[in-house]
Amino acid sequence: MRRADRVGAVLLLLFGVWFAAVALRNYTYWGATGPGSGFFPFWLGLAMAVLAALLLVRAVRTSDPGAPWAPRGRGLVRFLGLLGGGVAFVVLLPWLGMAVTTVLFLVGILKALEGHSWPAAVGIALAIAGVNWAVFTWWLRVPFPTGVLGF
Amino acid sequence: MDLFANLALGFSIAFTPLNLTMAAIGVILGTLIGALPGVGPVSGIALLLPLTFGMPPTSGIIMLAALYAGSMYGGTITSVLINTPGEAASVVTCIDGHQMARQGRAGPALGIAAIGSFVAGTVGVVLLMGMSPLLARWALSFGPPETFALMLLGLTTVTGLTGENAVKGYISMVLGLMLSMVGFDLISGDARYTGGLNEMLDGVDFLPVAVGLFGLGEVLAGAERAMRQEILSARYGLRDVLPSLADWARSRLAIARGTVLGFAIGVLPGAGPTIATFLAYSLERKVSKHPEEFGHGAIEGVAAPESANNAASAGAMVPMLTLGIPGSATTAVMMGGLMMWGIRPGPLLFEKNPDFVWGLIASLYIANVMLLVLNIGFIPIFVRALRIPYSVLTALIVVFCITGAYSQNNKLWDVGQMLVFGVVGYGMRKLDYSPAALVLALVLGPLAERALRQALIISDSGVLILFQRPISAVLTTLALVAVAIPIARALLSPRGGARHGAPPPPLEAPRAGHGAPR
Repeated sequence: MRRADRVGAVLLLLFGVWFAAVALRNYTYWGATGPGSGFFPFWLGLAMAVLAALLLVRAVRTSDPGAPWAPRGRGLVRFLGLLGGGVAFVVLLPWLGMAVTTVLFLVGILKALEGHSWPAAVGIALAIAGVNWAVFTWWLRVPFPTGVLGF
Repeated sequence: MDLFANLALGFSIAFTPLNLTMAAIGVILGTLIGALPGVGPVSGIALLLPLTFGMPPTSGIIMLAALYAGSMYGGTITSVLINTPGEAASVVTCIDGHQMARQGRAGPALGIAAIGSFVAGTVGVVLLMGMSPLLARWALSFGPPETFALMLLGLTTVTGLTGENAVKGYISMVLGLMLSMVGFDLISGDARYTGGLNEMLDGVDFLPVAVGLFGLGEVLAGAERAMRQEILSARYGLRDVLPSLADWARSRLAIARGTVLGFAIGVLPGAGPTIATFLAYSLERKVSKHPEEFGHGAIEGVAAPESANNAASAGAMVPMLTLGIPGSATTAVMMGGLMMWGIRPGPLLFEKNPDFVWGLIASLYIANVMLLVLNIGFIPIFVRALRIPYSVLTALIVVFCITGAYSQNNKLWDVGQMLVFGVVGYGMRKLDYSPAALVLALVLGPLAERALRQALIISDSGVLILFQRPISAVLTTLALVAVAIPIARALLSPRGGARHGAPPPPLEAPRAGHGAPR
């Protein structure tokens, strides 16, 4: 985690400086009546820079490399699988509509990622999608995309 | 008397069929969410927020508050039977609760926890009811300097007390404040930090952020762990669950002490139910005549913390409702919900929305009765729910996150935001940052900025105005101390900034929460 802290601290430091600079350049720090739209953001940027510098100092001084934090192996696969599934869900939603996308996503996750059998995956997927449809579409009347299939 | 008239009004609202149903849904889902490891009250409330848009705010808050109370009850089941806390506020319960279960006394452990929770929850609401109007009346006199000082204190104590790492906690907080700057500035009309995107003009939406950080983020972090534990079996007939006279004699005072301590801790900004349970447990061990039994199935070790967390969850509502300062992540998400429904928590709430406040208070009494029945009589149902594989739960939560994020504005943009914040929440958990501090700052940011700017406009001595008025001087000083102590500690020790306020849990190896105050 030490390296992650060093990299993170540098990025946050730059971000803080950028945030404060934008506040001064694009917005008003002090107007005719008092503090303007740039006042609070400027101090926030400065605070971020100071805190990030503190973090950096500590991460540089410490000799302990810290526990590994990045996922690996099976954990990485599951993380990427879930996240990829989520992104695919959003991409497919306007084309396939809510009902179909939900079922496809769930079957995909349960079968490919979690290793459930086909009948179990399809069964659970239909059940969850059904509840989801009942709550959001039927009860709350959220107008989800219906997609090319029309539902 | 005023109080009784208000309470009567409250019960007349709470007893409408819709609100009774919402309280029932809240307590059932809350108990489930509390019991299931990997979803706590924060994620639960974030996930259920989208459901509340279609209903009146009063019904919405009734459901969420009932859920919060229920999650405090439900966490016990998992602690006792699996030795894994269902949520962070039940971590200490594992110690003696699981030992009791191993000795075949799971029934009394769950029974005393339910009874203690009921007593504490009910007394907590009584105290909430008595204290809130007084606090609100006092806060009515607050001007912009006091308001800003109060928010500063709320932000710094929550961040300082709850994070694993103080510097990273404050970084998370400032990040949240920065995010809250995005969009139109209401005073000048400037569009700030929008990157030229029209979607950003209204600012970063609260709901996708909360759902992403606490729903998806938690699931992503949990996805790496394989969780399969043995559930101890036990008998849950009424006779098995009700504690014996000896149990009762030992627990009576523990429940009383846990209740008082828990409520007091809950009211304080920054220290929620989780810290209350740790303190209640160590207090009990100190005053006990047989401290050697702690860790080996002492029933007081279950009764005290389980009472404390329920009293604390009631106490945590006090500053949120009366001052508009949430003291924990859960109440921060709740307050975000309130503001989305167009309700502004704070001293005026009791005058402007009596239906809302008193309906909520009355519903909390009802919810505690429902929870007592549920947690004495229906334990086997929740035990069965624990057998739901985590993989199925994960998939379910991801679908709920996506649908929920979409349903507020019916825009895919929000779902995208939710996904991004899911990854952010995952990274923050992995690297010891504090999603709780971020979300709190996101809620308070615009209010804090406005209060500060107004304070500076009326001031003729700049920021010194914060120190020139007595209340704001005290609050500001406390806030500065709250920042200085953990940061000084972080600088002095190389590993620095370790958690303080709660003793390290002396546990076998249960999966603790993510440092988020629940």
